[in-house]
Amino acid sequence: MRSTRAGVATAIMVLPATVLYAVMLVVPVGLALYLSLTDWDGFSASPSLVGAANYADLLVDPDLRRSAIVTLLVAAVGTAGLNLLGLGFALLVNGASRANSFFRMVLFYPHVLSALVVGFLWSAILGTTGAVNSFITTRGGEVLPFLSDPTWATITMIAVLVWAGFGVNVVLYLAGLQAVPAALVEAAEIDGATRWQVFRNVTLPALGPSVTVNIVLSLVTLLKTYDLVVSLTAGGPAGQTQTVAYLILWNSFHDARLGFGSAQSVVLMIVTAALAFVVTRLRRRGEMAVHQ
Amino acid sequence: MNRYARLVFLSVSALFMLVPLYVLVVNAFKPQQDILANPFGLPVEGLTLDFLAQALDNPQFNIFRGYAVTLLFVVAVNVLSVVLAGPASFVIARSPRRRYRLLMLAFLAGTFIPSQVLVIPVVYVLKTLGLMGTIQGFVLFETVLTLPFSIFLYAGYISTIPSTLDQAAAMDGAGRLRTFWQIVFPLMRPVVATMIILNTFSVWNDFVNPQIILGPGSGLYTVTTGVYAAVSQYSTDYTVVFPTLLLAIAPLLIFFVFMQRHIISGLTAGATKG
Repeated sequence: MRSTRAGVATAIMVLPATVLYAVMLVVPVGLALYLSLTDWDGFSASPSLVGAANYADLLVDPDLRRSAIVTLLVAAVGTAGLNLLGLGFALLVNGASRANSFFRMVLFYPHVLSALVVGFLWSAILGTTGAVNSFITTRGGEVLPFLSDPTWATITMIAVLVWAGFGVNVVLYLAGLQAVPAALVEAAEIDGATRWQVFRNVTLPALGPSVTVNIVLSLVTLLKTYDLVVSLTAGGPAGQTQTVAYLILWNSFHDARLGFGSAQSVVLMIVTAALAFVVTRLRRRGEMAVHQ
Repeated sequence: MNRYARLVFLSVSALFMLVPLYVLVVNAFKPQQDILANPFGLPVEGLTLDFLAQALDNPQFNIFRGYAVTLLFVVAVNVLSVVLAGPASFVIARSPRRRYRLLMLAFLAGTFIPSQVLVIPVVYVLKTLGLMGTIQGFVLFETVLTLPFSIFLYAGYISTIPSTLDQAAAMDGAGRLRTFWQIVFPLMRPVVATMIILNTFSVWNDFVNPQIILGPGSGLYTVTTGVYAAVSQYSTDYTVVFPTLLLAIAPLLIFFVFMQRHIISGLTAGATKG
């Protein structure tokens, strides 16, 4: 009797979360696979199976090729930027002081804002009639094409992503720096090591796990860049800044090709997981080489 | 780098970080021709509250309604998330059984799935359940997105609470549910606070899910989807853009300034979930 009651109580505690999770997260992952094999338009109740046609379309879709290249570029350059600035500033604001906690707050605050707002704000600053260009043109200068030239727009987008995001990396690296053994740093300094040598040979190896975490997180986050594209460039000029996530939602909801969009989602999910896995493995191998 | 060079460099960097915020604030109080003529100047001559008032009274997007709707979602998701994830984490953390370890793994796997990938099939599920375009559907989906990381954090935290506490409660005749809510849950305050901060920001700032699940047809605007509706077509009318954006970010920024230490650690914990 008692064990039945305990069993009921346990079920009441575990089942609601489990069932909801299954219905809205586990089933959808399976459905994404199924829908990617159909021609679902988002409205019809019974989409028909089209086999691997959506995946075949992926290979020849020129928009997707362009957006895959842009997305990888954003992910690679953005990851480098986030981590160089993140680690650099972490070293500069390390240690407890009022000034340091102020700087940390200032570096971090863009992360509190939604990416949508960040994009609208920067487009009002860097657009053709935006703050910077009005400032230049009222003084007789030429308009700078921050958002209107394809190459400039890509660079601008990466720069804004880094501006908005590196504060998180600063905080993560700061946490990592607390784990660097102070005795080791002191010993190296007593032995006459220069600051760079201390950083290169003591601090950086001890930061190994932090570096891995930061790189993987940056990559995974940047590979799904979407909101900022909507507000900063709306994918333009000429579709140049459409990321894969942007294209997925555009194909799905603007062009009503949810089957095709699902196929892209499935590929994005696999690529993201694979890249995260590869980077983790590579970093681990690198760390082992350092410790040998 | 010596101390002064470091301070100078950091101050210049801080300035660069703050310039966009400065531009946003000063231009929210200027008419269009002043913004174009002198975008970086303080609004001394043409200082006006008209455009802020217009943004407050925008027929396309009522910002107060936007705050209220978003706040409702934030509260609903936070409450549901704690009520669902808390007890489940307790059972998972306290049971040595294999099935609960598997369940934990299943929840953990969910932290790696980006919600953009889910939104298409979730539309299908919600349509099937008749919840597409409804508040319930949106709140349920947002709640589910919080479950994996909540359960991961909560279960980890509960395992640091001595189980002798539960045993004592059980001896006194408390059932499992009561033991959790009356004995264990009050001890989980720090970790629950972290999750609430995290969920508050992720629901408040979410754009894709409300835009697609609620849709423009529902007439329900969160702060982000409302900003999109109000700003995207008028992106060069800066008397709309700056005041609307200022109103959209003001509550969160104020919250951030007062609670920065908790928010920074909470959001950073959240960032590590990927």
